[in-house]
Amino acid sequence: MEGKKALGEKMEPVKHYRDKKVVDAILGRLKKETEKLEDKIRIMHVCGTHEHDVVKHGLRGLLPQNIELIAGPGCPVCVSSAQDVDEVLWIADNHDAIITTFGDMMRVPGSTESLYQAQGRGVDIRVVYGISEAIKLAEKNPEQDVIFFSVGFETTSCVTAAEVVRTNIPNFSIYSSHKVIPPAMELLLQRDDIEFHGYLAPGHVSTIIGLKPYEFIPEKYNFPVAISGFEPVDILMGILSLIKQINAEQAFVDNTYGRWVKYEGNTAALRTLDEAYVISDARWRGLGVFPNTGHEISDEYRHNDAKKKYDIPELPVKDLHAGCICDEILIGKSKPDQCKLFNKACRPDHPIGACMVSHEGTCNVAATYEEIIWKE
Amino acid sequence: MCLAIPGLVTELLEGTRVMVDITGVRREADTSLLEDPLNVGDYVLVHTGFIIAKLDPEQAKEDLKMWDEILSN
Repeated sequence: MEGKKALGEKMEPVKHYRDKKVVDAILGRLKKETEKLEDKIRIMHVCGTHEHDVVKHGLRGLLPQNIELIAGPGCPVCVSSAQDVDEVLWIADNHDAIITTFGDMMRVPGSTESLYQAQGRGVDIRVVYGISEAIKLAEKNPEQDVIFFSVGFETTSCVTAAEVVRTNIPNFSIYSSHKVIPPAMELLLQRDDIEFHGYLAPGHVSTIIGLKPYEFIPEKYNFPVAISGFEPVDILMGILSLIKQINAEQAFVDNTYGRWVKYEGNTAALRTLDEAYVISDARWRGLGVFPNTGHEISDEYRHNDAKKKYDIPELPVKDLHAGCICDEILIGKSKPDQCKLFNKACRPDHPIGACMVSHEGTCNVAATYEEIIWKE
Repeated sequence: MCLAIPGLVTELLEGTRVMVDITGVRREADTSLLEDPLNVGDYVLVHTGFIIAKLDPEQAKEDLKMWDEILSN
């Protein structure tokens, strides 16, 4: 019961952050701030959870007409290359290994098949809640190799990292498809085929990395950044901060999720990340190899690295199937309804592109909440 | 994927484990990724079985002040 009391006092319960009065007041302030704007402002978020929550709460429809919120490459499941799926399946096929992974990965298309399809032909693939469950499975099955196929940005990488540094089971290893977000944000700024004016930075990644990794964005590019949470009030406060920065012509990294995000981030998690991984180049679906955007397991923990444990041959990679424009969706260049497959051949129950798979994928969200999205 | 859910620490278990109440569901979570020790009654963010952050109650109060300012304008 003590817990119940503390719940009210400490003020995380979501109802505060969904309060209609506060939402209306921020929208009023946003309207006032945008009256000064001459051009349309486009804000990019780089988080699948943001896309899901923005759409679920119908926030796009509430924003002033001259603010457009676009979805960037924030869904780790969507950006993972077909190569990762292919290689994991190669290990399963050639070493009779059990594959464990997050449920979201099951339908992600590989070059020829998804894990779900491979399961249909008898490959042993199990969905787990997290890496700890995969380790328990390996302990219970000492005769068989168990692979944990791990994807995610820094929020998830550090959890995998915690096990990388403390686990040493001969039949267990990790296939890391982890990615780092700030360098990818820089690459998007350097492209001249997408235009936007501010970054809504991902709140939960930021609980780990803090503010510092984003600071080069205002410093080098004079480009506004606001770290934001996921409830309606949180998201709108982030957008308000960006509009204010644009109006004042003063770009900095604003932390509007201070109740969870510290300037220095989570120092214990960062230490673990540093110890477990090295930064590498990584392949993003349909976009090619982005330098310094991957997290590979460091040599010291090579016993846990499936990529080193197994001699995986070079396999032909096909990231995009005919007609799929996931590459353009991922960087906010196109919207789901601009894809001719959207909600026709490619649907949540039958995804052709990776953006239709995860419940945080831009196309999946658009298909799930179709009636309230993309109607500007 | 980066979904993390707020919960309340209800019990300290052995080693690096605690019990967290997440919207009424009790789940064990790992504290290995936290610098500071936890107490019963702390608000935490849980991601795939690990606690990744502890709520800063002072900062949460600051949020309220900021809203008051917006509401009063």
